[in-house]
Amino acid sequence: MVSVDSLYDKIKRWTVEFVGGSGYSNQMTGYMTGELQTVVFTLILASLFRIFSIPLGMVLLIAVAAALLYFAPMIVHVERESSNDLNRVLFWVVIYFAVIIAVTLWGR
Amino acid sequence: MTESISNLWSIALLVTIPIFATIIVNLLFNRNRAIKYISLISALSLVVITILSPYGFQWFTGQPALNPNTLTFTFDASIPAWRMALEFYFGPLQQVLIFVMALILVLVIGIATNGLTKNQGPYIGMIFLLFMSAAIIIMVNDLYHLWIAVEIGSLVVVGVVAASGEGIGQKAALKYALFSALSGAGLAIALALILGLTGYSNISDAIRYIQTTNLAGMSSILYVAFGFFILSWIYAGGLVPIHPLKSEVYGAAFPHGTAMLQAQSKLMLVAIGLVMLRLFGSLPFAREVMLSISVLTMMLGVVMALLQTDLRWILAYLIVSHSGLVTVGISLGTYDALVGGLFQAVNDVLYMSVLLLGCEAVYYFGKGTSTKTAVGIAKKAPWLALAMVLGTFAASGIPPFNGFQSKIILIQSALKVGLPEVAVVILILSVTTFIALFRGIYSIFLKPAETTPLAVSGSVPSEAQEDDKETPIPRGLYLSLAILVVITLILGVYPDLVIRFLTPVAQAVSIPWYP
Repeated sequence: MVSVDSLYDKIKRWTVEFVGGSGYSNQMTGYMTGELQTVVFTLILASLFRIFSIPLGMVLLIAVAAALLYFAPMIVHVERESSNDLNRVLFWVVIYFAVIIAVTLWGR
Repeated sequence: MTESISNLWSIALLVTIPIFATIIVNLLFNRNRAIKYISLISALSLVVITILSPYGFQWFTGQPALNPNTLTFTFDASIPAWRMALEFYFGPLQQVLIFVMALILVLVIGIATNGLTKNQGPYIGMIFLLFMSAAIIIMVNDLYHLWIAVEIGSLVVVGVVAASGEGIGQKAALKYALFSALSGAGLAIALALILGLTGYSNISDAIRYIQTTNLAGMSSILYVAFGFFILSWIYAGGLVPIHPLKSEVYGAAFPHGTAMLQAQSKLMLVAIGLVMLRLFGSLPFAREVMLSISVLTMMLGVVMALLQTDLRWILAYLIVSHSGLVTVGISLGTYDALVGGLFQAVNDVLYMSVLLLGCEAVYYFGKGTSTKTAVGIAKKAPWLALAMVLGTFAASGIPPFNGFQSKIILIQSALKVGLPEVAVVILILSVTTFIALFRGIYSIFLKPAETTPLAVSGSVPSEAQEDDKETPIPRGLYLSLAILVVITLILGVYPDLVIRFLTPVAQAVSIPWYP
């Protein structure tokens, strides 16, 4: 039996699973657009790694694509990690700062 | 030495007028009428001073500079020399940025003095100090003043947010205060390292020393200083990963207060960004790091804006996201990119102010700014709806508004340096900004109010009763919106009105992407 669902219906059903509430609410459009944007942005960011090293950039791009598929829906994680909870912000600042120092010292 | 010191009068006034205004309105405390006139006159005088002032230097503490070639003292700013005094500079970039900030100050004071009923004095005082800190940061050319102004600026941000009187505002202010202590200390360490390495507190002298001296063995120290500068930069502008705290600050303050906060934030981003570009721009990987932070900020800010259901929070995250656009230009560091980034800073302050003041006006309908509660306002306030839609067009980079001009320059400069990815991100950001804003604006202004079955039975307040909660929007708010919308339109059609002020600094500071 062939499914009569369009691609839109499939994506909507999948998104509703993690959004909850009405499938036609304005929050729903935000979450769906957000999910798409996050994936696109992350892939573009990964491709920017070619500035440092093209072969490493290619590896990173594939790894990121795999990670996006594995952790989907991404938007839930993005929202949680972008919480304004002080502990979480401090945690990310420490990680982030470590990366900056690592990259700059490596660049030297 | 026969030459005499030629300190520029306007620099001192741009710093002292806000301080005196703060003291006076604090003393007046609750005498609202007096506060209104004094603060409006002070703010207008700042606009006039910015327009009339010539360009020049102010040497605070007054020591002359030492010319290293002739070992003679001089007050001539055009001679490369070691400057002992704490130095301020007022040039074309400072003129245009301080003018925009002063204009927003006038409009915000007009709105705040009409809207607030109690404790006006301290609140207006803090708004003035916000202006002062931003003016110092953008004019300063020495590391001490930069640090002090950033510290003052962060404390004043805390005050403005806490003054919103809501629990969420005070919580956000406390968090921001805790964090600013960390970042302020970080900046102090960076300055100490640069001072230790070069021996100069003057930024131009330190840069000249770094460029002319072989620092191969000491470059680790420069990188650590760069790391601490980055910390200060991300904190000042709310870049990733501080974006949740800064957007909380924007979302929790009064919208007119946020208009000033975001203007101050953009000026801080530009000032610290330019100092970083001048000090560290030629270090390998430094600009790449700055660019990565900028692109991440654009991305996370706009994605988080999509998830919000309150206009205040949508705007809060978009302000953060668009800060990334400004820093993309500064990070690329080429002539075109710098012009685009600096122009974006000006445009951003203007169109975000349109949207924030429009958001403030939504409060007058008594249902808050949530997309779930405030609906169908366009019917009651069509001009407000029009201003918000035009503000959205400007923010989304739709011609003929100002946002289009700066974004197109940024996109072209990203393509020119061989980074089409950055151009694509800017393009997506524009489209997503439109979606995020229009979701909110559609719900609040255009969506008709739903009639529930209960409404028929008469058990919920009737429309007439609900209208009781509404207060007429002050004419001053409409006037402010009209002024800002017209400016966004004029700058969209004649971008050279601002760009000609930005080109001198872009020429002086720019560095090729791959030297």
